[in-house]
Amino acid sequence: MSQRSKVLSLITALILAMSLVLVGCNGNNGGNGNNSDNGDAPVKTITAGVLTVGSDCDYPPFIELDGDQPAGYEFELLNAIGDEIGLTVEYLAPQNFDTILASVASGTKMDVGVSSFTINDERKQLVNFTTPYFDSNQAVVAMKTAPYTKAMDFNGLTVGAQSGTTGADWVRENLTNAGTVLKEYNQASELMAALNAGDIQGAFFDEPVAAEYVAKLYTDSQIVESIPTGEQYGISVSKDNPELLDAINKAMVTIKKNGTFDKIFLKYFPELTPPSLGA
Amino acid sequence: MLLTGLKLLLQRLKKYSTVLPALRTFLAMVAVLSLVVTFVVPQPQAQGLTVEKTTAKPNQSGSSQIIGGIPTRITWEATVGNDEEVKEITLVFPEGTALGEGAANRVTVLEGSTRLEVPQTNTITSEQTNIVFDNPVGSGLLIRVEMSYVALPEETGEYTITGTYIDGTGTDITLDESPAISVISFTTVQKIQHWLDQQPWVESWNSVLFLKIFLNPQLIVSSVPTLFKGWLRSLGLVLFGFPLAIPIGLAVSFLRMAKFRVVRFFAAIYVNVIRGTPLFLQIYIAFFGLPFLGVKLDSYVLGVLVLAMNSSAYLAEIFRAGIQSIHKGQFEASASLGMNPMQTMFSVILPQTVRRVIPTATSEFILLYKDTSLLAAVGVMEQMMFAKSMVASTGNMTPYIVSACYYLLVTLPLTKIIAEFEKKLAAAEGHGEVLTSKKKKRRFFGDMGARETLEAAIGDSGSLVPGENSTANSTARGPANSTASGPKNKDLR
Repeated sequence: MSQRSKVLSLITALILAMSLVLVGCNGNNGGNGNNSDNGDAPVKTITAGVLTVGSDCDYPPFIELDGDQPAGYEFELLNAIGDEIGLTVEYLAPQNFDTILASVASGTKMDVGVSSFTINDERKQLVNFTTPYFDSNQAVVAMKTAPYTKAMDFNGLTVGAQSGTTGADWVRENLTNAGTVLKEYNQASELMAALNAGDIQGAFFDEPVAAEYVAKLYTDSQIVESIPTGEQYGISVSKDNPELLDAINKAMVTIKKNGTFDKIFLKYFPELTPPSLGA
Repeated sequence: MLLTGLKLLLQRLKKYSTVLPALRTFLAMVAVLSLVVTFVVPQPQAQGLTVEKTTAKPNQSGSSQIIGGIPTRITWEATVGNDEEVKEITLVFPEGTALGEGAANRVTVLEGSTRLEVPQTNTITSEQTNIVFDNPVGSGLLIRVEMSYVALPEETGEYTITGTYIDGTGTDITLDESPAISVISFTTVQKIQHWLDQQPWVESWNSVLFLKIFLNPQLIVSSVPTLFKGWLRSLGLVLFGFPLAIPIGLAVSFLRMAKFRVVRFFAAIYVNVIRGTPLFLQIYIAFFGLPFLGVKLDSYVLGVLVLAMNSSAYLAEIFRAGIQSIHKGQFEASASLGMNPMQTMFSVILPQTVRRVIPTATSEFILLYKDTSLLAAVGVMEQMMFAKSMVASTGNMTPYIVSACYYLLVTLPLTKIIAEFEKKLAAAEGHGEVLTSKKKKRRFFGDMGARETLEAAIGDSGSLVPGENSTANSTARGPANSTASGPKNKDLR
């Protein structure tokens, strides 16, 4: 066999193998579809019987990794919802926050996106949101040694936010002095690390998370100001799957009524009032 | 209150008027004065609804400006005064405002930082926004209205949102003027985009989902100028980093060939640790670790340093392979001419080495240039970062494609230069035979086999699989020892 025909046959073999794999995938999907028709799961999900969740898993106390398993308020809330609908909750490897909504919208990778997503009208054009399950605000964190007293003090300084968040939007909209530099990070933990490293003077993100970080991990920093925005978190669901949205909203009403929700909520936020969840 | 009190006091004092005529006159004067003060100087009346702020979300990625005629989101905040109530708010947009698709209001009422459930009905039109609360909103509360997909007037200017509110007693009151929003008119980019918006071919082009997501014409237009800034910054990173890596790499390569075992050992550790760990990891360690040691550098400078350090290890091996590929006879000949080892190295060996390592070193330059993108993860503003934030704000992949073109703008010509140089090198070294056999493969796999050719020229390291054609691909970073194995010189004679 000559060199060239060897290469050619190799490529042909590769193409054949790939097409076999593709056929295999289709076969599997068909099988799953049948399963869900049999009534194993009341709603259609990407993998039948499983609620596939995309999250950045780096937003304590809402969701974070405890070892290699997610933990936190949102994690327990989703488990309760999963139990109610009859779906096993499974998590993808941690996603970048700014890619989750696009993945949810495409409807092929994850059923729901859960990473403390603030419901707003721009995002609502891309995905559907469930009933809000948490009321939040923004906050700005700086080192305790820094002289700042309010959020607008950072106008004209180098500040950081997590990419794709409402915190980043707030900075762009409000800190309009020419000198302001906004550095965007993938993860909230990177943001805090950058603040402590002196790369940024202030870190803008959701107030409950900021409170958690300054209380536990980065005790040299403090919340300079809470910015009241009254934003609300919702679980994002693909617009192609309104049945799943309905099922989750119904499940939220049920767990609100039977007390499961309040128990989970108060475990993490004993000083706050649990939201009504539309019940 | 004050006045009536004073009058009462005066009446009582009248009884003693005979006793204290002077005091009486004095008190009368005080009473008159206070009357004057009450009517002439305007009292700071309790404001029913104080506008706290009016801002708009920048609607062009990579800039903080608000462009007229393109939908933005206006945020308006006001506080209800003490002992006041608000039943209804009407906010009037400047003339020429238009609504985008999906325009909506989002009304939030906060007590301190606690969100309250306040039922209301609201409407939005291109003239105004109207919010009617089911129950009046009480004193001290913050009302926050976000109006999405509102396009402010197209002309440059300062625009204010005016309006009225109805208080608890049903009185219609005009709102204080809100802080102005600066709006700029279309830039050239927007003019082109606007023109594209109206073209039927653009519409049918964008109706194909793939083309809309990856090759959106409007976004190509806005990406090119925005990403150009990032392109310059990326290029800057590598243009500072690479020249810095050359002397370090050369020094390390000498240490790798030193007489003393200990020196060789430490140089080997440097090279193998750096080549054996991902650059991404090194970047993280440098950016998040060093500051804890008190090392505070500008992130751009630190980026250059990390790139230089990383590249120096690869260059050290390239240089070492290059130097060792020079035939032993050259060293012997120089020695016989009475040259010392230093003279030999700098006037005989290195000049020959330079020619041989140029293609591989250029490949290394290409690799390093592409690796500048990793710095996006730690917040260095470079091309990838610009593209990322554009993608995040538009939800469209087109900026990544434009970004790819910018990278190719550098890598493709360099690849071509390498190929030309190899040809010359082969001719000079006089082993055209190797090249002809390579040529066949090239026709099949493209034209990027710089490292391969050098490997073939300076010795067979055996690490390159035929078909791993693209040295301009980061996978060519390969195992830590890919160029470390000893040259055998077999092709060089």
